[in-house]
Amino acid sequence: MTSRILPQFELFMPESISQVVEHLKLYGKKAAVMAGGTDLMVRMKSGLFVEYVVSLQNVKGLNYVDYDETKGLSIGAMATLNQVLASRNVQDNYPALVQSAYENGTEQTRNVATVVGNILNASPAGDCACAILALGGYVTLQGPNGIRQVDIDDFWINYRETERKTDEIALEVVIPPARGCVSSFTALTRTRKDLAKINAAVAMSMKGRFCSKVRLALGAVAPTHIRLKKCEALLEGNEITDELIEKIVELVPTEINPINDVRSSAEYRKSVSGVLIKKVIKKALG
Amino acid sequence: MKTCDITLFVNKENHSMTIPVNRTLLQVLRDDLGLMGTKYGCGTGECGSCTVLMDDKPILACLTLAALTSRKSLTTIEGLEEDGVLHPVQEAFIEKNAVQCGFCTPGMILKSTALLAKNSNPTEAEIKGHLEGNICRCTGYVKIIDAVQYASKQMNR
Repeated sequence: MTSRILPQFELFMPESISQVVEHLKLYGKKAAVMAGGTDLMVRMKSGLFVEYVVSLQNVKGLNYVDYDETKGLSIGAMATLNQVLASRNVQDNYPALVQSAYENGTEQTRNVATVVGNILNASPAGDCACAILALGGYVTLQGPNGIRQVDIDDFWINYRETERKTDEIALEVVIPPARGCVSSFTALTRTRKDLAKINAAVAMSMKGRFCSKVRLALGAVAPTHIRLKKCEALLEGNEITDELIEKIVELVPTEINPINDVRSSAEYRKSVSGVLIKKVIKKALG
Repeated sequence: MKTCDITLFVNKENHSMTIPVNRTLLQVLRDDLGLMGTKYGCGTGECGSCTVLMDDKPILACLTLAALTSRKSLTTIEGLEEDGVLHPVQEAFIEKNAVQCGFCTPGMILKSTALLAKNSNPTEAEIKGHLEGNICRCTGYVKIIDAVQYASKQMNR
């Protein structure tokens, strides 16, 4: 149980990305990287022990939300949820991201918590993480051997485990240009702004009622967020009718393997998963 | 470094001190500076009792390392009054009896102040949405919403 007292650690406040990498090269295995800190602080108060905390706060140039017609949307490691919500480009092009960033936390949290942090936290209940898996994209990592990009589909390996090596810093997440793609996000919670019992997001390219491409993401139903590949295959290349959506509702529970925990039972998660996917598809289609 | 030197700028005053790096802003405000208006509720970011303003934005002091707030502008409930005159939001909470046990009140008032600074005439839905994350266990929410609406009217007069 939580002691709610922070253990002792050493704090580094590097001012450049290369200094961050230098610290992580020396101490990475025993270090945690802190962006907004809203997740890390709670985990440290609940028994997570790290010898070193590397804060990104003083690193210049990481708090951007940029949109480019070719590259898409780039969200820097220190860009807060409220910064993302304030971006006109995000509002115009990525409804799933807007809805998830808003639901992800309260005003106090949104003022400091970061989108990239939500991805790196690797909790299968993360709200922004769920939306970004549906929207697709990649995470840019920098380590002693240079920069590499990891597709979001491959980024989470297991519960709280990501592709990031201990000597790497996640610089940004990049989401492809929207190009008329519709999207939406929803979460089921006990009370407002609670951790999700289960969350869902969809991003689809539509020509009228005809779906040419779709990505469906579900959270809190497996050790990581997952895509529903069978459902996607059933939707792609087809006209989205009520009958087809009902087929999807039946198919969703067969693709997931949820657990019982304090927030929900596996049985409940299975029985609502299909309905939740139906809800996000209908919401995205408007 | 297990300790660090910081200069906190709280309620328009500078405080230079050496602190262990694992101290939260909440601990430093209450234990080192004696500013007891900022409350320790849950300690895990659920209740909003420890809300303070950092560069005019509400944040949670229990989830913030004091070492990372050096030279930022911090406002606690003690800093809202000016020359002995209460802030209109404080007056409104008194006028509308929006205080029962009082434990959530500093957080509620600071959060409401931040809302009214960016939206001078919020709807009831906007007030409720904005106050999510501040819990009143006396469940006196109705009067708190009344108070914010009253403050909005007084400030727009």
